[in-house]
Amino acid sequence: MKIHFRLNGSDIAIETDPCRRVVDILREDLGLTGTKESCGSGECGACTILVDGESRLSCLMVAGQISGRKITTIEGLVSQGEMHPVQKAFVDHGAVQCGFCTPGMVLAAVDLLRRNPHPGRQEIRRGLSGNICRCTGYQKIVDAVEAASRDTGDKE
Amino acid sequence: MKKEFILPKTLEELWEARAVHPRGALLAGGTDLLVRIRAGRADSQALISLDRIPDLRGISTGDGEIFIGPATTHQQLLDDYSVQKHLPLLRQSVEVLGSPQVRHMGTLGGNICTASPAGDTLPALYVLGARLDLRSPQGCRTVPIKEFIEGPGKTVLRKDEILSGIRVPMPDPGFRAGYHKVGQRKAMAIAVVSMACQVWINDHGTVGRIRLGWGSVGPTVKTLPEVEKFLEGRPLSLEVLREAGQMVSKGVTPIDDVRAGAAYRRLVAGRILLRLLDLLRKEVF
Amino acid sequence: MENQIPVIGRSQPRFDAKAKVSGTERYAADYYPPGMLWGAVKYSDHAHARLKKVDTSGAKEVPGVVAVLTCEDVAGANRVGIPPRPDQPVLADEKVRHRGDPVALVLAESKEALAAALDLISIDYEVLPAVFDSQEALMPGAPLVHSENENNILHKGKILKGSAKEALKECAAVVEATFRLPRQEHAYLETEAGVAWVEEDGTLVMIVSTQTPHRDRMEVAHALGLPPGRVRIMAPYLGGGFGGKDGISVQCFLGLGALHSGGRPVKIWNSREDSFLSSTKRHPATVTIKLGCGADGALQALCCRLFLDTGAYASLGGPVLTLALEHAGGVYRIPHVDIEGYCVYTNNPVSGAFRGFGATQALAALEQAVDMLAVKAGLDPLVFRLKNALRRGEESACGPLRTYSTGIASCLKTIMDHPLWLEVRSWEKDAPPFKRRGVGVAAVLQGVGYGPVVPDYANAKIELLEDGRIRVYSGVTDMGQGNASTYLQIAGDILSQRFGDMEAVQPDTARTLPSGSSSASRTTFTYGNALIKAAGLLRERILQRASLMLMGAAYTELALLPGRVRHIPSGRDLPLGLIASMLDSSEKVCVYSYVAPVARDIAGIDENFRNMGYPHLIFSYGAHLARIEIDEITGEVTVKSYLACTDAGRVLNPQAYEQQVHGGIVQSLGYTLFEDFQVQKGEILTTGLATYILPTAVDVPDLLSIAVQEEEENGPYGMKGLGEVCANATFPAVANAAARAAGRRIFEGPLTAERILEVLAEEHKGE
Ligand SMILES: Cc1cc2nc3c(=O)[nH]c(=O)nc-3n(C[C@H](O)[C@H](O)[C@H](O)COP(=O)(O)OP(=O)(O)OC[C@H]3O[C@@H](n4cnc5c(N)ncnc54)[C@H](O)[C@@H]3O)c2cc1C
Ligand code: FES
Ligand code: FES
Repeated sequence: MKIHFRLNGSDIAIETDPCRRVVDILREDLGLTGTKESCGSGECGACTILVDGESRLSCLMVAGQISGRKITTIEGLVSQGEMHPVQKAFVDHGAVQCGFCTPGMVLAAVDLLRRNPHPGRQEIRRGLSGNICRCTGYQKIVDAVEAASRDTGDKE
Repeated sequence: MKKEFILPKTLEELWEARAVHPRGALLAGGTDLLVRIRAGRADSQALISLDRIPDLRGISTGDGEIFIGPATTHQQLLDDYSVQKHLPLLRQSVEVLGSPQVRHMGTLGGNICTASPAGDTLPALYVLGARLDLRSPQGCRTVPIKEFIEGPGKTVLRKDEILSGIRVPMPDPGFRAGYHKVGQRKAMAIAVVSMACQVWINDHGTVGRIRLGWGSVGPTVKTLPEVEKFLEGRPLSLEVLREAGQMVSKGVTPIDDVRAGAAYRRLVAGRILLRLLDLLRKEVF
Repeated sequence: MENQIPVIGRSQPRFDAKAKVSGTERYAADYYPPGMLWGAVKYSDHAHARLKKVDTSGAKEVPGVVAVLTCEDVAGANRVGIPPRPDQPVLADEKVRHRGDPVALVLAESKEALAAALDLISIDYEVLPAVFDSQEALMPGAPLVHSENENNILHKGKILKGSAKEALKECAAVVEATFRLPRQEHAYLETEAGVAWVEEDGTLVMIVSTQTPHRDRMEVAHALGLPPGRVRIMAPYLGGGFGGKDGISVQCFLGLGALHSGGRPVKIWNSREDSFLSSTKRHPATVTIKLGCGADGALQALCCRLFLDTGAYASLGGPVLTLALEHAGGVYRIPHVDIEGYCVYTNNPVSGAFRGFGATQALAALEQAVDMLAVKAGLDPLVFRLKNALRRGEESACGPLRTYSTGIASCLKTIMDHPLWLEVRSWEKDAPPFKRRGVGVAAVLQGVGYGPVVPDYANAKIELLEDGRIRVYSGVTDMGQGNASTYLQIAGDILSQRFGDMEAVQPDTARTLPSGSSSASRTTFTYGNALIKAAGLLRERILQRASLMLMGAAYTELALLPGRVRHIPSGRDLPLGLIASMLDSSEKVCVYSYVAPVARDIAGIDENFRNMGYPHLIFSYGAHLARIEIDEITGEVTVKSYLACTDAGRVLNPQAYEQQVHGGIVQSLGYTLFEDFQVQKGEILTTGLATYILPTAVDVPDLLSIAVQEEEENGPYGMKGLGEVCANATFPAVANAAARAAGRRIFEGPLTAERILEVLAEEHKGE
């Protein structure tokens, strides 16, 4: 089946089994390996992508469901070589260790800041509670999101 | 063994798809179904998505009730003004359901049809006296949620029916509401015990009316009318709640599983009533 | 960041962060070579059984299946593991010994075909009696996990000093207790993954998520019957390790698959469920402690019995037990000790290396006993610890003299003076309704490096490239701890180059030099020491050649700057690329081999015990404080504040230092509060992340970390290992806080709400 959708700002059409998982399409068919898989069952958030701006789990979505939707993966956050402010904040504030949770975590944070441009630390923690990180203890991730909200929130 | 995928845009297309794929599964948010398929606990020849049928989405108010389309996501419930204003109990239960991503994907209809003993919206919907529209090409019937859910994963939904609407009566004003969930951790947790409560307090500080429902302490949501009766007319004091708590512990029928033992669930189901002391300080709707 | 010259001691972002945060870094799991096949393993259906017949015919008929391999297809020894007990089959031959034992390997065109084929492998078993408890496994007549052994003991050890039993009788206060510590799963986010192929010249190449590429090379070669020179292993950045990738996971499957794939590359990426089933765990432990002190509060005697359930295979069980025993006396002077431990085979999942390496379990028990003793002796738990804490030059409870930096007293004093401790009484009293508050402390340590026998070396290699950039060949896997970035920081500091002027090559047996494993708190200590020398050598060569090019300029007239050498008097710059062109290829690469110092022999140590890593010479220390709140209604624990004081020597990069401390604490908060890898009769109950509960961001508080910077003279820039010591104090600190809040102690971990409520309910019964 042919599926049309918008991926990181470009319209694309792919011929695929519509019941194929979105995470597999991104990683295996489109080479976008920035989207990670760690549990395959919704429990870790590593596979988070944005669907029409909203964070969703690409391990629990099939191709047919994204037909006509706007998909943003971690690769799509970088525009013209410039990292998204949340990405920059993750680098600057030491929010990245092994980095395997990072793409999902960053996208969850982007969605969080869209809904709530100035979250408190506890709100940040709640907003990221669908993303497991085994390395950082979360604190520097919270620091990074807090900083990103300071840097970007005012412009909105 | 390739599965078909159908994305109907109207109810008519949906009926058609179901006729062609009698063994197809309805896919709402997929946060339950796709997990079960992956684990080999569900199978289907086709996935029929409810995502693009406008009739199955959205929230409207009228006739003293709030009508919720089954494919409305948890996040849409949280963002909806009438839910915030009239159904704070439902709102609270959705606030602690899963994770942000799961709330963006999962739907109220999916939570109901999954009929998990731990389903977070279920105690609230029992307490609120929700009624469900079950629709087939032949017509529609409406059943109270209590009668809809028969056991873990078991509902009265017939093969040709779908859940097409959730009708929640608008509660009389002047109530307080609380959903109290105990999980193994503070977020993204399946309820080990949960309790939904809606209470109207009289001017003289005693309970006028109270409705309670417990999750994860039996095959379906547990309601205990004798406990509600006991509390009505009494103040929500420590002594009263302790006594009621003991009745609750006796009344529930939990089991042991990998998350917690039955004894713990039994104990906490009763003790959690003490949280109602806090409720007195909470907002009145 | 690329434009900064790294400075030792100053916070700076890691250079690996940018690619990771952009999604462009490629982990082992991210390789999908063209024409590849998928591989996956059929695991045992029983915890202990004789294999009668493995019928793969049905599986082979599935369309898309290319091969179904069994032990018959393994040409080598079919065993992995480290001496003296390389006892783990690549594919089960005679027996299966736990549910995660691999029986067959399937290669297929698609994941669907793979799944279908796995279902069709039919195995005929003769089920054998099994044993699931470490102490039962020691009883006479217990089923033997390895029939060729006399009993189920993998390793036992003893540390005896003075006469503990007699001394305990003389003590003014004695406590005795048995503690049970749960089995912990590493749960790194990147499950075991890799790709492998065979080159035209017959070399087996793999890119795999491993902490031990050079050791793997030997193991894979031996198990599969290849000359080691014909095996090449690359370890890119890992999506977490924590000890769980210390050794073979999918390497031999990848190799075996690539040898039978008809020349196509093979990819394996474990599902979370397969990862849980087959990977190693932290050893579940039972620790019995008798601890006594004199009337003056001085610790006098410790008796400790420790049982570790090592599961079906040796893995690193021997060294784990050894370290557990070495750390069982904690940070104290204790004149009389009698410590004995057993590491025992069972038909449970294999236990192996896990951050802390046995010390975590031993200290979780000891530090609770210390608190109990303080209460019994009527002493403040911090004062009590400080009174008994080791100073440099003193003899520790379990080992030789502490000859090097020993900062535990400073850690304890820092806590003592901190508001979180000073204001604790009033904070405890202010508990809101239905809450109970408690504070707890614990003091811990961790040996750095391998110990006296296994040579603890690193071979640093650094190169000046043609274009004037600097390349560091990292010999040690970066599993997330950031050592690769630290290596560049060191090289940049010595060579005055910016991050953007340098690059790091991740471990590759064909390009980087053997430098030991990414473990044992040694990754910066050992390689860093080697790299300082190698970079110094390169600096010298660069300046030397620049001097020649400037017709003999004195070194004092030369400044090494980013991308160039400046002749100060003339202001003339020589680009490093130009200097590189003037260096012979043998000069552009500088190599230095460093071997970490080891403790002098102490008399009377069992040879076996020495081989397994006893004793260590250099230790890092830490003291932690936890303030917790218990919900009386549900038993839930909330950690309200947390303070960690660490002596890991000098801090090279405060940001990276904090990363380790935070991560170690939170991983151990999981261990303390929820993580319990439940196994019942060999069957895993917590099969995935829905039932194995990891901490989320809301389950942990903001943490305070204070570095007590005592210089370690052996360490690069005065540092010592940090990655493990920060994970050891959390369990006992929180358990001590919980005991205070609840009024009773829970002797079995994790401290779930259910267990807490149980002890609270006991209290009501007593009323
Ligand atoms: C990580 C994770 C955490 C979770 N945490 C929680 C939690 O805390 N609390 C909780 O209650 N649940 C939780 N869940 C379960 C699940 O997310 C919810 O039950 C959710 O509401 C299901 O909705 P859905 O739309 O995704 O259902 P789907 O998976 O799409 O459907 C579920 C079932 O209902 C059927 N169905 C759906 N809609 C209809 C309809 N209109 N008519 C007839 N049949 C229908 C489907 O055929 C399927 O059998 C969690 C799930 C995950 C993956
Ligand atoms: S991989 Fe999708 S949530 Fe874990
Ligand atoms: S950085 Fe490793 S899991 Fe988050």
